[in-house]
Amino acid sequence: MNDQPNIRVLLVDDEETLLEYLSKRLLKQRFTVKSTFSGEEAIEAAKEEHYDVAVVDLKMPGIDGVETQRRLREIQPFLQCIVLTGYASVDTALESGQLDAFQYLSKPVDYDNLVAIIKDAYKKRMEIQGSKFKEQVEEIYRAGLGKRGMRRAIGELHKIYGVE
Amino acid sequence: MESNSSLLAELKKLTRDLASHKIELEQARGYLQCILQNSTDMIFATDVDGILLSFSKGGEKVLGYSWEEVAGRRINDFAEDPVSFGHFMASSQEEGSAVALDVHFQHKEGKTIHCHASLMSLTNREGQRVGTVGVCRDITLWKKLQDDLIQVDRLAEIGRIAAGVAHEINNPLAVINEASGWAGEVVGDARGLSSDDRRELEESIEKISAHTRRCSNITHKLLDFARDSATTKREFDIHEVLKETIDFLTPELKHTSIEIDFNFAGGPLSVNSDPRLLEQVFVNFITNAIHAVLEKGGGERRIEIRTIKTNSEAEISVKDNGVGIPEEAQAKIFDLFYTTKPPGKGTGLGLSICQNIVRKLEGDISFESKAGVGSTFTVRIPIS
Repeated sequence: MNDQPNIRVLLVDDEETLLEYLSKRLLKQRFTVKSTFSGEEAIEAAKEEHYDVAVVDLKMPGIDGVETQRRLREIQPFLQCIVLTGYASVDTALESGQLDAFQYLSKPVDYDNLVAIIKDAYKKRMEIQGSKFKEQVEEIYRAGLGKRGMRRAIGELHKIYGVE
Repeated sequence: MESNSSLLAELKKLTRDLASHKIELEQARGYLQCILQNSTDMIFATDVDGILLSFSKGGEKVLGYSWEEVAGRRINDFAEDPVSFGHFMASSQEEGSAVALDVHFQHKEGKTIHCHASLMSLTNREGQRVGTVGVCRDITLWKKLQDDLIQVDRLAEIGRIAAGVAHEINNPLAVINEASGWAGEVVGDARGLSSDDRRELEESIEKISAHTRRCSNITHKLLDFARDSATTKREFDIHEVLKETIDFLTPELKHTSIEIDFNFAGGPLSVNSDPRLLEQVFVNFITNAIHAVLEKGGGERRIEIRTIKTNSEAEISVKDNGVGIPEEAQAKIFDLFYTTKPPGKGTGLGLSICQNIVRKLEGDISFESKAGVGSTFTVRIPIS
């Protein structure tokens, strides 16, 4: 477990006690965790810092889970969202076709299952990000920018990918 | 001479008029006969004492008796409650006519026939009452449909309420689940606990987790029940689904010495329906059968799965030689939350869900059972 990459997880659920315990358990397993208790708060957090995986509750007061994950991905296009729902039929959300999430899970979730899915989501994020990054770097080379242009482009990439 | 010829003319006119009246009368009689022969309503005429004088073809269909069987009997005797039917007859005679929205007759085979009935008093030229004419429309089917609709409505309402409750409960359940998981980790890391205390804590936490799962199992089944999504139909072989179902249940069958007989119709049994939903029905039927034969204890344990193909339907039945369903429970087995299993073993949802599914697939679900002998559950679904 020690060679696990540092996975940054953004939790979004209005059920504060749930996040309290969930974050404790995830922190213990060396995840980096940020708990937010509404869609609005999560969006603010995503503007500040980069995350790999978001775990979003479907039903929340204010901005609901569908809208939250849509806006989160606008800010951070590679962020993978796992959507939690109190409804048994995860299919209802799928059928509605509104969501473009990595996975849907019905509450209460099996913790070990959730951890496994967070790791899968992280893997997918890295894959997509890796191939996109390569593409963009190649494009920068092709553009034949000068030193300054190159530096600015790299600065942009830093911002998009959240790499230090 | 003149008076003779005018008399003759008058006689001719009279003959002509009579002939035309006769034609009119025949036409009227034919018209009446046509109504009596073809109307699906029960139309009858009685004398003042209620003795049947005429009984339409529709009446023979409605009550199941032929004219020969009812001739000379009193109409009151065919009512479920002859006394109040007598009052109804009397009021029609006093008022000239009377209408009743729901009169109960008894069919030859014993079942109740609901009728919308109107009675008219017959009088002769002198104004004396000579009898009664009745027109009764059989509304039994319509009544049943109405009751079914009320039942479906009520079920849908219960489903909606239950789903709302289940959804609200899932959130606190999720909290309990995470809290107990965390407690487990803390206990695992804790130092200085005596091994007895550690075991006590670990067992308690495991109990909390297990019972949280039990709760979420119920809430999820309820939500499935209430869920009103479109079925996804496709063409598939029912035999394949049945085999998969048995595979799925293999762990349950291990070490039970239950013999499963397949009695399949020849060739594939292709239908255009929803395989996922039907599988849910089969799992329920077969699981119930397994529990029924296990509960019975010793002796030969046998479950037979039979399929029959007709022109328009596929029929699948699961027969067991288990404990059977006591007669007093048979009316309730499709009720939401009705279960005969001990607390914690059954949710009382399985068969309600099956009934709901089969309804959605435009099929039909039925069962036969005898306590101590066994049960057969049958589902019929349209082939396309």
